Amino acid sequence: MASVIVLGVGMIPFGKHLKLSVVDMGAEAAYLALKDAGLPPARIEIGFFASAGASRMFGESTVGQNVFWEVGVNKVPVINVENACTSGSTALYLAYNAVLAGQVEVALAVGSEKLCVPDTGLLNSGKTELDTQLGMVAPAGFAMRAYRHMVEFGTTREQLAQVAVKNRLHAEHNQIAQFRTPVSLEQVLAAPMIVDPLTRLQCCPIADGAAAAVVCSDRVAKSLGRAVDVNAAVLCTGNYESPQDMVRWETDYRSCALAYEKAGLGPKDIDVVECHDAFTIAEILHYEALGLCKLGEGGALVAQGETALGGRIPVNVSGGLLSRGHPVAATGLAQVVEIVTQLRHEAGPRQVDSARIGLAQCMGGDKAGDTKSCTVAIFSRRS
Amino acid sequence: MNQESTQAIAPVAPGIFVVPSGEGSQPRLIGGSCPSCEKHYFPRPKYCPSCLGPVEEADLGSTGTVYSFTVVRTRAPLGLPEPYGIGYVDLDGTGLRVFCLFDPACIDDLQAGLQVRLAVGQLGHDGRGTPRMRPFFTPQRAGRERSG
Repeated sequence: MASVIVLGVGMIPFGKHLKLSVVDMGAEAAYLALKDAGLPPARIEIGFFASAGASRMFGESTVGQNVFWEVGVNKVPVINVENACTSGSTALYLAYNAVLAGQVEVALAVGSEKLCVPDTGLLNSGKTELDTQLGMVAPAGFAMRAYRHMVEFGTTREQLAQVAVKNRLHAEHNQIAQFRTPVSLEQVLAAPMIVDPLTRLQCCPIADGAAAAVVCSDRVAKSLGRAVDVNAAVLCTGNYESPQDMVRWETDYRSCALAYEKAGLGPKDIDVVECHDAFTIAEILHYEALGLCKLGEGGALVAQGETALGGRIPVNVSGGLLSRGHPVAATGLAQVVEIVTQLRHEAGPRQVDSARIGLAQCMGGDKAGDTKSCTVAIFSRRS
Repeated sequence: MNQESTQAIAPVAPGIFVVPSGEGSQPRLIGGSCPSCEKHYFPRPKYCPSCLGPVEEADLGSTGTVYSFTVVRTRAPLGLPEPYGIGYVDLDGTGLRVFCLFDPACIDDLQAGLQVRLAVGQLGHDGRGTPRMRPFFTPQRAGRERSG
């Protein structure tokens, strides 16, 4: 079976890009990834373009073909991908599988999203869904998990807030994050309440942004010096059965276990994690699903500094969604950019010492008290 | 909530509750059940997800226990009150945990384990300003109602 590697990555700073379109941003990220890989556009044999909102917000369809032609990629298959917050990591999953299957030697995955436009509002999972009609909004699902975690395990508001404090501290060293000013525990707790018990500083901000990755077989690369292996990339869908346990998140546990199994690795092997901290409680739940700590101990893990840079298992050293902002379809690939940068030992002041194996976990959408999709990918340094 | 106009106002989704006729009657939640799998569903699916057999209409009762909740304090969608309470309720007798709205007058009483019963009233609109009837749960003990 072919060995699958990430040869190049690229992303633009996340934030407000009022003058750039979804196509402009996606093309820029793709350009940076191709330059980083050192490959001309003619080497791309398949392209996956992710955007969760382009068709809904701007009435545009098949945006991927526009993006790819901006960087000279034409004729080859182009597939437009929408999978909520995992749209970008789903594009990576598809690129990985195309190379793994031997169908192509080189694939390009790009995610681009424009959210900083008037009246974006809160994301929901489909206006015809009964939950949406009964007032379900994305932050509320996580707030209900947070409350339940507090009831069952005694997790405190301070422990939840500590996730935001940690990730902001990390973002200080990440030039492509949107919010880089540290915040105190008091500031996080005193911020306006959005959905009890989550304050505004515990909910990821929106952003415009794009990120991309060139995925290929190891036969392609002239030099593998900066190549990073993809050990596993999995995509799982929610189970939607009732009753859902909101703190033992079966879909999260199942996705993480499948990625570990396919990679032949376990939680103790991982040196650095990027996970979907759309809300502070989400990061705590992902610690537990990933096996970084036991069930119910996620709050203590962050409070003890174990997941901070310099701790036992640093999580979201990029600053995470809480600091980068969340341009939905770009996020999953931005996580890949960070992990690849870490495994190349090119992360500067936020470098995790001698990181060899990294993991990116992403989640998207709500349905029936579960997520719509969950992706987990594991990467490793070659030498 | 305007009692006189409730007859004319459409439910937010068809067939998810019934309000039996008669003064002060107790609304009931309506879902589905699969006779061969003996499983309940809410809302009622067209096919049983386990066996793809036909799903019959099922009375899911009107009482349950709060599993989790939150109060949404951002701009409310669909003309819902600001703030508004939502959560999951474990329905008595069916094993189902359903997503629901809570009585806007009782959001300060919400906690895990609270026993609740179904109510139906005019709450919010359909997204285009037309009022809608929505089901919501309210505490079973009426002793702690807000005076405003």
